[in-house]
Amino acid sequence: MAYSVLIVDDSPVMRSFIRRVLGLSGFEVGETMEAGNGEEALAQLSAHRIDVILTDINMPGMNGEELLKRLEADGILKRIPALVISTDATKERVLRMLALGAEGYMSKPFTPESLREELERVLGDRNV
Amino acid sequence: MSEELEQVCVEMDPAAGDMIQHVAAEVLETMFFTEAEPVECDHVWLEIAPCAQIRFDGSHSGEMVLGVSAEAAEPIAASFLGLDPMELTDAQRGQVLQELANILCGAMVSHLWPESKLALASPELTGWQEWLSQGVLHRCFALPEGMLAISIRLLGAPTAGA
Repeated sequence: MAYSVLIVDDSPVMRSFIRRVLGLSGFEVGETMEAGNGEEALAQLSAHRIDVILTDINMPGMNGEELLKRLEADGILKRIPALVISTDATKERVLRMLALGAEGYMSKPFTPESLREELERVLGDRNV
Repeated sequence: MSEELEQVCVEMDPAAGDMIQHVAAEVLETMFFTEAEPVECDHVWLEIAPCAQIRFDGSHSGEMVLGVSAEAAEPIAASFLGLDPMELTDAQRGQVLQELANILCGAMVSHLWPESKLALASPELTGWQEWLSQGVLHRCFALPEGMLAISIRLLGAPTAGA
């Protein structure tokens, strides 16, 4: 099964990098969509079927924290697993994002293999 | 940076220099697909090098500056994006340098102060900042295609409970 992925990051080069790493990872990627912040992500989610969300935290407009809150508040969108990808690996930040509903947290730097393993973990949990 | 801020630059654990070396090598190998070997400093190349500076604030406040020699900046950006160097735009080169600064700074402060509560500002493209005050941690690296330098400093003592 190929999964559709939504990449949410305000940096175009970071979105390109994640797209590239998904390809290198061996993860079964179907359609890949991009958004520059939370508002754009919600628009993509209303227009497309998304299987998993990869989101940054610090973004102009709606940031990653607010996006997670909006997902949690929506009975349908909360079923889509969201992974946070961030440079901030402090314990306080990781625990906060998990408490807001993130299913996983990947701090940079990360390898293609670790991204695939994390995606398979959260999607495996959902499939069960 | 103002003289006032220069005066409050505080000493960091010298052992943190080894951590900077480790984190820089890991970031460059994992996400930029290149190798970094620590070398003796020779800063002549930094006079014309593309640089990015980033501030962090919260329980610890400070800043980091990154310099990459022009001949290394292009292959780093191309490698990060999976593009041929000839395909790169100036905007992409600058954005990748900012992203590298962002990743390095985030990884370093998370390793140095894992219990901290910090926010990173957006990196800015700049010229090299030669910080001469005590307490600055600095390392230079040789990459296959050129050079890279990092300086990080803490401005003011950590707040209580940090």
